Amino acid sequence: MIVTAALCPGPPLLIGELTGAASVAEDLRSACTDAVGELIAAEPEAIVVVGAAEQTEGWPEAGPLDLAVFAPGPAGPSQAGIKAAANRPTSLGVGGWLLTACGYRGPQILQAVGAAEPADRCARLGAALAKAAGRQALLVVADGSARRTLKAPGYLDERSAGFDESVERCFRTGRLDDLLGLDPALAAELMAAGRPAWQVLAGALAGRAVSSEIRYQGDPFGVAYLVASLRLDPVGTDDGGSGNV
Amino acid sequence: MREGGRASEAAAVPQSDLILGGRRFPPGRLLVMAIVNRTPDSFYRPGLTWDESAAMERVHEVVTEGADIVDIGGVPAAPGADVTVAEEIDRTASFIGRVRAAYPQVAISVDTWRHEVARQACAAGADLINDSWGGWDDELPATAAAAGAGLVCAHAGGQRPRTRPHRVRYDDVMADVLRHTQLLAGRAAEAGVPRASIVIDAAHDFGKNTWHSLEITRRLGEMTASGWPVLVSVSNKDFVGETLDVPLAGRLAGTLATTTICAWLGARIFRAHHVLQTRQALDMVSAIRGDAPPARAVRALA
Repeated sequence: MIVTAALCPGPPLLIGELTGAASVAEDLRSACTDAVGELIAAEPEAIVVVGAAEQTEGWPEAGPLDLAVFAPGPAGPSQAGIKAAANRPTSLGVGGWLLTACGYRGPQILQAVGAAEPADRCARLGAALAKAAGRQALLVVADGSARRTLKAPGYLDERSAGFDESVERCFRTGRLDDLLGLDPALAAELMAAGRPAWQVLAGALAGRAVSSEIRYQGDPFGVAYLVASLRLDPVGTDDGGSGNV
Repeated sequence: MREGGRASEAAAVPQSDLILGGRRFPPGRLLVMAIVNRTPDSFYRPGLTWDESAAMERVHEVVTEGADIVDIGGVPAAPGADVTVAEEIDRTASFIGRVRAAYPQVAISVDTWRHEVARQACAAGADLINDSWGGWDDELPATAAAAGAGLVCAHAGGQRPRTRPHRVRYDDVMADVLRHTQLLAGRAAEAGVPRASIVIDAAHDFGKNTWHSLEITRRLGEMTASGWPVLVSVSNKDFVGETLDVPLAGRLAGTLATTTICAWLGARIFRAHHVLQTRQALDMVSAIRGDAPPARAVRALA
């Protein structure tokens, strides 16, 4: 049963060692650590990390992201012996890094969701995750459009503002079901990589009363970042409840 | 890095003469490729040489400053308004013809990824096709071969032309660069491009973040060990800006430092905005290496 959930973006620049000597995006970083800190404070038996990747699959918990894939060289982050897990998708790597950075040492369940998965499959994946026994917290790592500005990674697409606004509205109002209506084709065109992960979240929390706190919203590098804490009313069933009662 | 260098030095293939448009450049000769952009919105000093007569003035200037190659492009690397093939040909081909007529002895390259543009540019007098986007157009090698032109084989990390890298990651960026550039160089040779006119380029910042661009600079010796002549294009790039935290106008020192390191590690062609300063940095490297004597040495010798 999912007892609490959080939404964070997954840019590698959240990881301090990757951005060099300067301090970058402090407000974003602290919003993320606050959101993850709230998950940990709920004392879950496990934290499920969901992030978009090339394909849907579970990833072993062992071995964090090898930061050398982003920052090779002697001045880059030093992580002797971590090479083995170099292939972990970036979203799950950043999510796992956040958990560790916030002091979490408990079990992690890493679930990648394929970038091309349609909404219904994402929702089913979420529902399956929610059925797992025990008190679980959910960390969804998802980004909005990377086409917010002329300097954005994907250049400007005028439609990005409206798209990201509609996503933000779902989180602000707690109406997560509306995330299932997002058009995958449009999301892909806008380089909104978080679309499948949002929809997994919607599936996982279907039928639950959600109140939310938006902790950060912005696009300082042309990618829409949204950080939110999602607080859930306890479901009326014993553990293992479907969450859909 | 010393470790990487040692391994590749053991198997290093010696460099041979580079031939561009009938001119032969021996391995010790460091070449400045001057950038002349026929674009209204280029990355460095936008619009500087958009007007054709301003562009011709710029060519006169860079040749005087010591450019060996003039690199003429009609499309900026950054995303922006679409430039059609016809428009790109319009911006480059006839201008190349004018430069060819004015400077028969200067090598000319055309900065394009499109074979249609390359074909027209070569017909107008270009000696080298500078494809920074890493072989996006499969017909480029055959086009170069048919024109008797050289080809720059670059690594852009699979990025589509005019797109920015986003969260790019490599298990080993230099291994990827070596694999891709040598694959393209081999294909070019197979297609009939003269081996002495094939050049490889790691393409700093193309499909790479700043750490990746620093890594390929540090390990450039692994590219030069392949025997293919290496071109570097580092002038004013964002990895210099991010490394030094300086805006576009403040990147000359970082550019020259990078240029010097690349020259020391064996690069032979240096694509540059600051031609005079780049020429001097390279002449200094040549003198330190012992490839060329000082221009005038009388101090303490009288």
